[in-house]
Amino acid sequence: MTGTRAGSRPGSRLASAAGGTACGTAGPRRDADLRLARLEHRYRRLLLAYPPGYRAAHGEELLGTVLDVAEPGRSMPAPREALALVAGGLRTRLTYAATGPAWADGLHLGATVLAVLNLATLVRYAGSVPLWTGLSALTLLAVLRGRFALALPLVAAGGVKTAGLALGRPWLGATLLPVYPDALWPGAGVWHEAPLHSLGGPIAPVTGYALLFGALLVLALRGGRPQVRSSWWWLAVPAVALTDPAWLEATAATPRTVARLVLELAVFGLAILAGRVTGDLRWAVAGGMYALVTLVHLVENHARFPSHDLSHWAVLALLALVSAAVPVRARRHALL
Amino acid sequence: MAKGRPALSEPTYFILAALLSGPLHGHGIIKRVMDLSEGRVRLAVGTLYGALDRLAANNVITVDREEVVDGRQRRYFRLTDDGRRMVIEEAARMRQAASVVAGLLDSGEAFA
Repeated sequence: MTGTRAGSRPGSRLASAAGGTACGTAGPRRDADLRLARLEHRYRRLLLAYPPGYRAAHGEELLGTVLDVAEPGRSMPAPREALALVAGGLRTRLTYAATGPAWADGLHLGATVLAVLNLATLVRYAGSVPLWTGLSALTLLAVLRGRFALALPLVAAGGVKTAGLALGRPWLGATLLPVYPDALWPGAGVWHEAPLHSLGGPIAPVTGYALLFGALLVLALRGGRPQVRSSWWWLAVPAVALTDPAWLEATAATPRTVARLVLELAVFGLAILAGRVTGDLRWAVAGGMYALVTLVHLVENHARFPSHDLSHWAVLALLALVSAAVPVRARRHALL
Repeated sequence: MAKGRPALSEPTYFILAALLSGPLHGHGIIKRVMDLSEGRVRLAVGTLYGALDRLAANNVITVDREEVVDGRQRRYFRLTDDGRRMVIEEAARMRQAASVVAGLLDSGEAFA
């Protein structure tokens, strides 16, 4: 439906506007038709807030109703109608996303987040550890496509290698340590020059892999048809990490850390909203997995950056708790 | 209201009240709700269909029939037995709640 002009549709009021022009209908009538056609076109764009499946089934019905209630002569959507359509569309998208088993999909979503973060951590060092970066990318692809059995050995190998790199052991092949970032451009700053896993202890990276492995094991044993995640927006995180790995360093006192905290707040805010609208726990499960790994990182390295990470720790823990409590409460106090 | 049963918001209450007299389509519900609430509850279309979807998912209303008007689908909704019971119980609950205040006012116990 996207980008198609309303006039090409059956029942479209643009068709009557075009007909009016061809037949030379009187000016005022033609103006009214054109205004109505513009209004229809604008409402149709607002309906893009709804998921494609819902639009295909009920889009024309909603459009007909919203045009029926519009005041004559209006060519701009009424603000309250526009707002309600966008809010209704987002709500419907969340409802559509909350289908299927919540625990399994929450684990899958959380596994996707962890696989994205693992790739984002390695991508800046791809020149030194190309094999492991490639395997990490393959892991992410396998997780996204729901190929859990394929992802499991990759994650196990990645976890062992990460532990080896963090502890300085030549596990799964010798690697020259420390692993310096690729020199994409000169003068990038101290955080860019930090070797891989040198800004924190080994527990947090290994926890990330262990949690990812556990989630994938549960999903693989569970069987059934997993949801395939086809959005390529996930790749934005490794892309940003490639340009500036300071995004990934939760304990560094840089503006990036503040920006990351704001981003975490926004994402958890969306998860809380989704849980409130749907009463579904899948976003809380995924958020909890992310929060756990980040909290381990913050606690493990607390002694190195004690000034600000306690507040970050507290905020993350609070967000994870709220995102779990809100859907439970929404279920108990459902408002029709 | 019985424990465990979802609470009704005011717009939802009026939507159910509008359907008490028979099946209506979306625009019909909006007009009827405006009439019943004496212009106080003006349902936006996005809000209306969101409520209709939730009510249908909870088996409070159902689609009575579908028509195609002007090339567009139009669903007529009606109350289920559960929905009829729900709106009648809610009206009784509100009547009882209102009678508490009315009783206090009538007996002179309430401060002016």
